[in-house]
Amino acid sequence: MKAPFVIGSALLALVSAYAQQPVQGNPPLAKDPGPFLPGFGVEQDKGPKPVAGPAPHLPDGRPDFGGNGAWYPGFNGNLAETKWKGVKSADKHVDVPFLPWTLNTYNQRVENLSKDDPEAKCLPVGVPRFMFDPYPFQMIQTHDQVVFVFEGDNYLWRIVNIDPKGTHPKNLKPTWLGDAVGHYEGDTLVVDVVGFNGLAWLDQAGHATSDKLHLTERYTRTDSLTLKYEVTIDDPGAYAQPWTASNTIRWRPGMELMESICQEDEKSSIHMIGNAPPAKK
Amino acid sequence: MKYCFVIVALAVLHAQGQVPRLADGHPDLGSDGVWLPTHVADLAPNAAVPFQGWAKAKFLANNAMKQNDLDLRCLPPGVPRITLTARPFEIVQTPQRILFVYEGGAHVWRQVWMDGRTHPKDPNPDWLGDSIGHWEGETLVVDAVGFNDKTWLDDAGHPHTERLHVIEKYTRTGAASMKYEVTIDDPGAYTKPWTSSSSLSFRPGEKLAEDICLDKISK
Repeated sequence: MKAPFVIGSALLALVSAYAQQPVQGNPPLAKDPGPFLPGFGVEQDKGPKPVAGPAPHLPDGRPDFGGNGAWYPGFNGNLAETKWKGVKSADKHVDVPFLPWTLNTYNQRVENLSKDDPEAKCLPVGVPRFMFDPYPFQMIQTHDQVVFVFEGDNYLWRIVNIDPKGTHPKNLKPTWLGDAVGHYEGDTLVVDVVGFNGLAWLDQAGHATSDKLHLTERYTRTDSLTLKYEVTIDDPGAYAQPWTASNTIRWRPGMELMESICQEDEKSSIHMIGNAPPAKK
Repeated sequence: MKYCFVIVALAVLHAQGQVPRLADGHPDLGSDGVWLPTHVADLAPNAAVPFQGWAKAKFLANNAMKQNDLDLRCLPPGVPRITLTARPFEIVQTPQRILFVYEGGAHVWRQVWMDGRTHPKDPNPDWLGDSIGHWEGETLVVDAVGFNDKTWLDDAGHPHTERLHVIEKYTRTGAASMKYEVTIDDPGAYTKPWTSSSSLSFRPGEKLAEDICLDKISK
């Protein structure tokens, strides 16, 4: 009576151990679909560049992530590549430790030209994609919060509660942006995020997430014009081990955020058909 | 009898508590908590609204066709309606601007410039408008223009045009209470400005939740 159970358990353990192995490049990663349009992303010369000063601080010594201006991440279509769709992407290449389903999903999404991207349907881009998307944002620091306000993607906000103990509420409702708790480590704001719904994509290319996603974000203003962003993606439901992506975000002095409402007269997403063959007539 | 009244009045004052203040002396409009507005479905349930003819017809049509309400399609509710729905919001004060961060509506935020600027000459028609503010004693006065004509002023369906000019007055009357007064000045829809008011209660220590309207309709 006991033997079949033991054998069954051993088999199950073997299968689940196999499932946790990262995929070793087989099947291969889908290829970069290439630039949107010829000339896309070519930087225009907009006159003299601002000169960076030292990173500012608040009167109590915390790093100051604000001021008269806004942060602009630029278009970084792929967290794991330095170039994507013809333009600069993340700061460094990462060999992503995919689980089989996330590799399949990633390849399908890339080959489908990201046609099912939730962002195109005006759903929240989620974290960390905010920091890789071509929409400006600002960070407003109060004594116990950092409020992120975003121009793009339906004019969203995000609140990071500052709590050095780093405790998340129990029984979190799964959300797009998760529950974010932060603290300052010297000049770095460290944010711990859990409680995701597993629906958001990590980037436009299509790196998937599960509801086990746990992020550690590190924001460091290295000079007045530069924000170094580093995020560790720890998602045992999607990746075999944690991996880290990064981006360098530029300060645009004097920039103010405009209202941008994605859902206003949204008629684009139905035209996104990816690489599907045209419907038979 | 007289003393009884005084004692009751003092007790009420004590329960309401003092209005907290920022270092610069202005009322603190809400560190450490969120505001919950009283739900106001109709800005003028009993009052005679100075409608222009077309606006009266439009109001009756909106009121009869609630399915045309863009709020149901997850678009921002506009001003003042966003302060009339029973969904909490947070006020974040900085010297240059005051941010309103809303849980309800479309997960949007709004900024009120406090740096002395004027409205742009030809503002984009926005869902939440262009807002500038100043202090009149204890009251934050917000002046907003630059609206599109797509939102309703309230659930009942009071319409407006792009000429809408809204003056809002936020007065924190105690630790747990705020008075909200709004003037609707829209020469495209009404023959003269008209006002309404409501109240909000403070929820100390509470946080905003994430609520994505599209989650409910895009499945």
